[in-house]
Amino acid sequence: PSAAAAAAAAASAAQQLSDEELFSQLRRYGLSPGPVTESTRPVYLKKLKKLREEEQQPPPQQQHRTGGRSAKTRNNNNNNTAAVGAPPGAGAAAAAAGMGGRPLSGDLSYLRTSGALSRGLASAPDNPPGAAAAAAGATAAPALAAGGSKVLLGFSSDESDAEASPRDQASGGRKERAALQSRGGAKPAPLADGEAGPGQPAERRKPHAWWGARRPASAPEPLGAAGREGAPEDAEEGGDGGGGGGGGGEREPEGEELRWTSRPVNGSRLLPFSCRENYSDSEEEEEQDNVAVARPLFRDDSLLRPRPRRSHGKPPAGVRGEAPHPATATAGGCPGSDRAAGSLDRRRGPEEGGGCDPLDCSPIPRYRLNSKKPTPLLPDGDLTLDRKTNNHIGRGGFHLDPPRVYANSIPHSSLVASASSSPLGINHSNHTGSNHTYLKNTYQQKLSEPEEELLQQFKREEVSTPGGFSAHYLSMFLLTAACLFFLILGLTYLGMRGTGVSEDRALIKSPFDETFEKIQANEKNLMMNSLYKLHDRLAQVAGDHECGNSIQRRLSVQEVAAYLKDLGPEYEDVFNMSLQWILENGKDVGIRCIGNGSSEDLTNITDVQFLQSTRPQMSFWCRFRRAFVTVTHRLLLLCLLLLLCFVLHYVKYHWTKEEEETRQMYDMVIKIIDVLRSHNDACQENKDLQPYMPIPHVRDSLIPPPDRKKMKKVWDRAVDFLAADESRVRTETQRIGGVDFLVWRWIQPAASRDKILVVPSKVWQGQAFHLDRRNSPPNSLTPCLKIRNMFDPVMEIGDHWHLAIQEAILEKCSDNDGIVHIAVDRNSCEGCVYVKCLSPEYAGKAFKALHGSWFDGKLVTVKYLRLDRYHHRFPQALTCNVPLKPSNKHMNSMSHLRLQTGTANSQGSS
Amino acid sequence: MMTSQKHRDFVAEPMGEKPVRSLAGIGEVLGKKLEDKGFDKAYVVLGQFLVLKKDEDLFREWLKDTCGASAKQSRDCFGCLREWCDAFL
Repeated sequence: PSAAAAAAAAASAAQQLSDEELFSQLRRYGLSPGPVTESTRPVYLKKLKKLREEEQQPPPQQQHRTGGRSAKTRNNNNNNTAAVGAPPGAGAAAAAAGMGGRPLSGDLSYLRTSGALSRGLASAPDNPPGAAAAAAGATAAPALAAGGSKVLLGFSSDESDAEASPRDQASGGRKERAALQSRGGAKPAPLADGEAGPGQPAERRKPHAWWGARRPASAPEPLGAAGREGAPEDAEEGGDGGGGGGGGGEREPEGEELRWTSRPVNGSRLLPFSCRENYSDSEEEEEQDNVAVARPLFRDDSLLRPRPRRSHGKPPAGVRGEAPHPATATAGGCPGSDRAAGSLDRRRGPEEGGGCDPLDCSPIPRYRLNSKKPTPLLPDGDLTLDRKTNNHIGRGGFHLDPPRVYANSIPHSSLVASASSSPLGINHSNHTGSNHTYLKNTYQQKLSEPEEELLQQFKREEVSTPGGFSAHYLSMFLLTAACLFFLILGLTYLGMRGTGVSEDRALIKSPFDETFEKIQANEKNLMMNSLYKLHDRLAQVAGDHECGNSIQRRLSVQEVAAYLKDLGPEYEDVFNMSLQWILENGKDVGIRCIGNGSSEDLTNITDVQFLQSTRPQMSFWCRFRRAFVTVTHRLLLLCLLLLLCFVLHYVKYHWTKEEEETRQMYDMVIKIIDVLRSHNDACQENKDLQPYMPIPHVRDSLIPPPDRKKMKKVWDRAVDFLAADESRVRTETQRIGGVDFLVWRWIQPAASRDKILVVPSKVWQGQAFHLDRRNSPPNSLTPCLKIRNMFDPVMEIGDHWHLAIQEAILEKCSDNDGIVHIAVDRNSCEGCVYVKCLSPEYAGKAFKALHGSWFDGKLVTVKYLRLDRYHHRFPQALTCNVPLKPSNKHMNSMSHLRLQTGTANSQGSS
Repeated sequence: MMTSQKHRDFVAEPMGEKPVRSLAGIGEVLGKKLEDKGFDKAYVVLGQFLVLKKDEDLFREWLKDTCGASAKQSRDCFGCLREWCDAFL
């Protein structure tokens, strides 16, 4: 202490050093300080400090340092010019803030618990007071977190992923609050424990303490304990871990920690006690995104949950039995994106459930009420859960809550039904409107009751079917009506065709008008009758023939005569006359006369040998069948035609597509070759690169992600083409980072050094700034110049590059006839060239020409040298007085400037 | 020795009335801080540099304390001023 006091005294004394004293002190250490002004004072003070430390022993040095620094920090809080104690002072300030923060945290914990309890007891929606408490806590917490975060929450940033680090801080802050409120005020010891060490030990201790604190807290409030779903469960098991069934219990906190350590922190997931509004915010977005993920979770949770339950047959089993409902509900509501192991899922489930309803159970029924529109969940998962919960109802009957809760849930089944059944895909066109509204509500709610939904689904199915039937029947009815209509139409048509005989009669009758003058009336009747009969008979015969029943289509004249005779004797007489008439009549009367030969010229009735009906009469069925066959044939023909057309088009399309793909493939091959070649060039220059490129990398660099699937075929063909037909590229397998890749190696050796031509070296490239009074001396001072930055000696190769430099200078000052000596200092690291001119005016001209010009990518600067020094250095220049000229007229170094328009050639603005 | 364009630009000519941001290593942020402290022109910083007798450690320490320059920034600034002095002083 005394030493510290002395050190402190020394430090404070140092503060009051006057400038002179400081100066002299510094001198004593061998320094030659500059003037101690108000701006240099702090620097010198620091220097003095350093020097003093160096001469003292280490232990007093430490105390001295800390004492001095603390003194400093007290005196100068923010000023960084008071820099003596500043950097360590920041650390001390943080420590002090942390220490100040800890008592604050204790107060905060009281605040939080009281707020939480009041929140729990309130029946009104507790979000606003929770929000208020959270807001109050939030404003205090960052300060706390900022100060204590370094110490307290170190584990969160140590262990979790870097990318989640800002969220770590936030969630770490929340965790801090959660931890605080968990401790209540009942156990300052765990508080201290939890805060004692950052990193793993703190984390390990924290869950235990937290759970240990939870347990007594949960005991007085069975309702409340039920609310803290995960917590009492974990606390039980944590306690059990301490006591009897330690294995399971111990496993879980470790699983907890494991999850905390391994997973990137998602505040909502890891915070059982986060404020609900925070939780709901993150939940909502999670819900909307990951509702689908909820479903597998349900299955996992349902499968795994019975195990811990069955292992602990205690009164709070009823709690746990109830717990899964909000747990699963909330799990469904807030699914995580990664579910590594079942056990971890299980842990998260109850914990999330706990998170949703942190402190007590009394809001739960209300919560359930609110959540009458649950998230849609898979029925099979619901089924299993239902089974489990039914088990619990039987077993945990001694607990009041579950039945009460279930009773609450069941009346709302009707509401839930519509929502839950929507994903089942039942045809409910009538109910889609209501489904949408319910769906929206589900997204806003967190809890869902699996057995409720189950009931709902069954009810829903019953409700939906009648409506569905009616719709179904309507469509079927329409279809059948249309079919029937067309059928009837077809039949009618066919029926009409079948009854064409009556038309024929009319047809026969009409031609009679002309040729009937010669014939008498009664004979006319007779003839007509006979003709009718004949027609019918022939039609019948023909019909039979057509239908395949008989083989004979026509009747011979004799048969006709016999038939007519059978009908009546009078018909026979008139037969010849009828025949005559038929022959004379050119029109088609339904009867055709056929002679022996094939010719149609029948002049006499004696030539007629056969009679044939041109309108065969067939039965309806026969007609139908024929019609059907005809239609089918025609359809088939049409189909064939269409097919042919289609095939042609397809072939054409295919052909063009092939062309297109081939073209694309060649484009791709060209691009790949370019990439490989340029990569090879880059490898030539940069020996760190590998001379090969993995094939997938090339693909990914050439094809943007949206096109990758489309271009897959093209890419594969290109790869094959390169493997087969490109000799400059070799496909091989390389192991990159432990994984075998197929790579391409460009194996064409760099053919020509054409790159050199691309970048001209040793050329003047223009002027950086205009020379004027400010940046150049107003008048030439001496005839000697030192030109800097003309070259880099490290980069120059060969023996005669200095000649090129000289040439360049001469060419730049080609209009200047006064340069008599040039010396290139090959060893200077600054690239110096010394020039002597005839007189200062010439030197001035050269100065203007050279100063500020770009040469070979470097900015050239010129300054005047004293003549005697120049001669001292270069004695041979004493006697030089012959102006030097460029060795050739090519002016190579000016080639680049010549291309530019005029301005570069202006040798300064004189 | 790789010098930046800023360095080369500064060293190529007398600084005149150039602002403090034209110094190598001094960007927008540091320039603002220096200006707030009163070092609004490069020549004022040059003055400080000269007052500290062109000592590297002292100047860099001063720069760090005044505007929070990093090691690289202070090194660049020091180099820039030193070279300027070599060229023009």
